[in-house]
Amino acid sequence: MENINTNTKNVFKIKNLNLSYGSKSALQNISMDIPKNQITALIGPSGCGKSTLLRTLNRMNDLIDNCKIKGDIRYEDNDIFEKDYDVIGLRTNVGMVFQKPNPFPMSIFDNIAYGPRCQGIKNKKTLQEIVEKSLKNAALYDEVKDRLRDSAKELSGGQQQRLCIARAIAMEPDVILMDEPTSALDPIATAKIEDLILELKEKYTIVIVTHNMQQAARISDNTAFLLMGDLIEYDKTDIIFSQPSKEKTEEYITGRFG
Amino acid sequence: MTYRTQFDTELDNLKLNLIKMSDLVIKNIHDALYSFLDLNTELAEKIIKEDKKVNDFEIAIEKECMRIILREQPVARDLRLITSVLKMITDLERIGDHAVDISKLTIFMEKTASTFKVEQTRLMIETSEEMIRLALDSFVNKDIDTARKCIDKDDIVDDYFDEIKEIVAEALKDHTIEVDYAIYLMMLAKYLERIGDNAVNLAQWVIFSITGEHK
Repeated sequence: MENINTNTKNVFKIKNLNLSYGSKSALQNISMDIPKNQITALIGPSGCGKSTLLRTLNRMNDLIDNCKIKGDIRYEDNDIFEKDYDVIGLRTNVGMVFQKPNPFPMSIFDNIAYGPRCQGIKNKKTLQEIVEKSLKNAALYDEVKDRLRDSAKELSGGQQQRLCIARAIAMEPDVILMDEPTSALDPIATAKIEDLILELKEKYTIVIVTHNMQQAARISDNTAFLLMGDLIEYDKTDIIFSQPSKEKTEEYITGRFG
Repeated sequence: MTYRTQFDTELDNLKLNLIKMSDLVIKNIHDALYSFLDLNTELAEKIIKEDKKVNDFEIAIEKECMRIILREQPVARDLRLITSVLKMITDLERIGDHAVDISKLTIFMEKTASTFKVEQTRLMIETSEEMIRLALDSFVNKDIDTARKCIDKDDIVDDYFDEIKEIVAEALKDHTIEVDYAIYLMMLAKYLERIGDNAVNLAQWVIFSITGEHK
């Protein structure tokens, strides 16, 4: 089950992953591979562990005190839990976009330039190029090109979320993790983000957590269904939504889950 | 526990309407075949009129499927069920059309009534009817084995068709059959052979709705 793309390179290889917060187990024995340049959706009811799994991929759970992890995650064949592993480097390569757009309280330009500046890029022209390219790739440039010095907080919700995607892209990551990126947006902004995600997969690998099953069906190549910390089923999205092999998956996606 | 009672009721109604449509089609085809064998033109004319009801069923079920797709956005077994129903009503409607075609033969044939009897015609009628019934039973009971039985019977119908063809050819050579009647008999046999194919399609869509596999 864990490897559903035999011909594709896998960016992440997750093996027997167990995670608990204190004494409470959040993920049990998860094994799955994340294929390169594809969109992988994580679905399941609230509290099933999908966001926890997503955050484990760039070690965001390190920030939680009582979080214990057992098992193995390999990013580009390197064990990300190894003692001297470069976590900053991992988070540079594996960017993240959250549920609520969270632009920094600064200008549009500075939001995008923030990461590259932290990496030591000072050259104005280089920064300008990065900002323009990132905004173009996030399909936002035309809408904001004349007001790059305005505060990012003045943008609409959908524009703010695309700005956050542009900010992630500015770091030139390999993977973008998205935690319910459209749940706070209206249908038009959602459609724009979905189009953008589909364009982005040419360059990036995308892992997306979503509560919207139609969204998973529309945009993802692979879908994993989690329930109470277990990976119930992981397969091609077309198969999951047309002929899932597990009864629990069938019950959940057809809305007969109780 | 189920959380979509309204949706489940809609799906149950959809299935019920498909069964009602099937019952009507089976009745029409049965009557049409015996109108041919018994040269009953009155019955034939009634069947031609009844076909409107079959067409109305098709349109109503089609609309209901579209509405459910739009409002409920079905996936997995629900999506397969609705896809199957949409395909099955097309085959049922075609079987209904064949009932009309056969009834029209009965009306044309009246003038060339013949005493020439081919036992295989009756056997072919019975087998085709049984195939439709098996396909519907498999739909109602979600039973793949019954659907496969239906599909297997198509070979029998095809064999009867070949036998009738040979008997009619022989009779034409021997001048024991009127040429017009021979043509009508062959057309009837061809319609029955087509009905067998339609029944196979029905069974294949039932299998798809259960397993997701379609040949």
